Amino acid sequence: MSFAATRKLCVAFSLAMLLFVGGCRGPQADVPPPPPAEQVQPADGQGAVSSESIPGSAFNRFFPQASGEYERVYTQEKDGFAEAKLKRNGEDVAMLAISDTTNVPAAAERLRNSSDRISGYPAATLGSQTSVLVADRFQVKVISRSPDFSESDREAWLKQFDLQGLSRL
Amino acid sequence: MSNSIQKRVDDLPTRNLTIFSLNALDKIVPGNWENLVGWDNTITTISQESDPALLDLVSRRAIALYDDKSQGYQTALWLYDTIDRTGSALGTAALGNKIGEKIPLLGFLNKLTPKAEKAQTIDLSLKLVVEVVAFCKINGIPGDSLGDFVRSLSDYGGESLMRMSALVCFDGLIPLGPNFIQTVSSRLNNISPKELEDNSQYKNIEEQIPGDSSDGKLSFIGESFDSVKGWMGDFVSSNDLTPQKVSHGLQGFIDFSEDRLDYLAAFLDMSTDYYRHTGVQTLARRLVERSLAEI
Repeated sequence: MSFAATRKLCVAFSLAMLLFVGGCRGPQADVPPPPPAEQVQPADGQGAVSSESIPGSAFNRFFPQASGEYERVYTQEKDGFAEAKLKRNGEDVAMLAISDTTNVPAAAERLRNSSDRISGYPAATLGSQTSVLVADRFQVKVISRSPDFSESDREAWLKQFDLQGLSRL
Repeated sequence: MSNSIQKRVDDLPTRNLTIFSLNALDKIVPGNWENLVGWDNTITTISQESDPALLDLVSRRAIALYDDKSQGYQTALWLYDTIDRTGSALGTAALGNKIGEKIPLLGFLNKLTPKAEKAQTIDLSLKLVVEVVAFCKINGIPGDSLGDFVRSLSDYGGESLMRMSALVCFDGLIPLGPNFIQTVSSRLNNISPKELEDNSQYKNIEEQIPGDSSDGKLSFIGESFDSVKGWMGDFVSSNDLTPQKVSHGLQGFIDFSEDRLDYLAAFLDMSTDYYRHTGVQTLARRLVERSLAEI
């Protein structure tokens, strides 16, 4: 192959790469981050869970105790999240959860903007779940899993969390 | 592992030998199993919500959680996939044009090699270890005490319970007989680290099994089996399970002779991928539950 032909090939290859690289980078650089009300990932970095998250194990002690016909079964414990199932006479009636909203700014934003209060904390109901925002950071949530478990049941169980203790975490 | 979680859930089949086998089992061991498939359908069903904006938030958060490798979900799915790597290829061939007919096992005998007792023991034990490790990858170690953790493990339902039922029936009772728990226990005590190293399934998942050496990993495998054998024994007796009862249930779609249960076990092993199938469903459920609570 002659020198000129080789050079032409190199130029064509370089142009193609420039287009390819430019094509990869362009659109991302122009897209602004979503507003907090839509963010389902930490605002500050990579991944779905911030390294600043409180470990889920730190939340367990603030969950309500269950006795009598009720049973509490812890189901998940991850960074920034802990969840337990609430059973009544063996049947699932609700999920109880504490999460660090550092990882989901949308959740904190929704609660901050609410005028409702439960035990003095900003509260909101969304579908079959009711939650409060503690210390402007931790979301405590009760989700109905049975039609018999009403909004007032959710509110009553939210009040049984150690919200004050959690606020000092 | 390269596929997105939505695609994995969207691609779950509704009609193959795995589903037929699990449905047959669901009649013998009632677990109210529903073959939940499709990402959007899974989110709507598990969340019990209908607001499109809320469902969109749940979906986006669940996808973000799965995509973050540090969260362990991808490793859990890799484990479920890897332990079931051999399954389903023969099943697709067997199902072929057999719509509405029973699959004659006789036609596949030359393709099947029943496993020796030792190999079956290792297989069953490794599947159990995968369950324990995947459970921890997906859920962490819930609660503050051992009692909390055991309660969490025993609270299996839906597709997770179905996976354990299939493990007991298809990998325990049918290939190893009614005393499979004692058989596996005594066999495990006599397996050397070298024999474990020679097992191809072990080689595939070795790095995910806790323990510094093959010896340590073998101990973990033994401890895992010991910790659930009580549950398995109760499960067998409370459901009055026998190899014959399970095999009768399967005769609705497979034609086989009762004295060839070793071949039936080999056929199920080669033609179904129940760990992978229900593993995707379990993972999707936990992702959606976490997402629903976090949004």
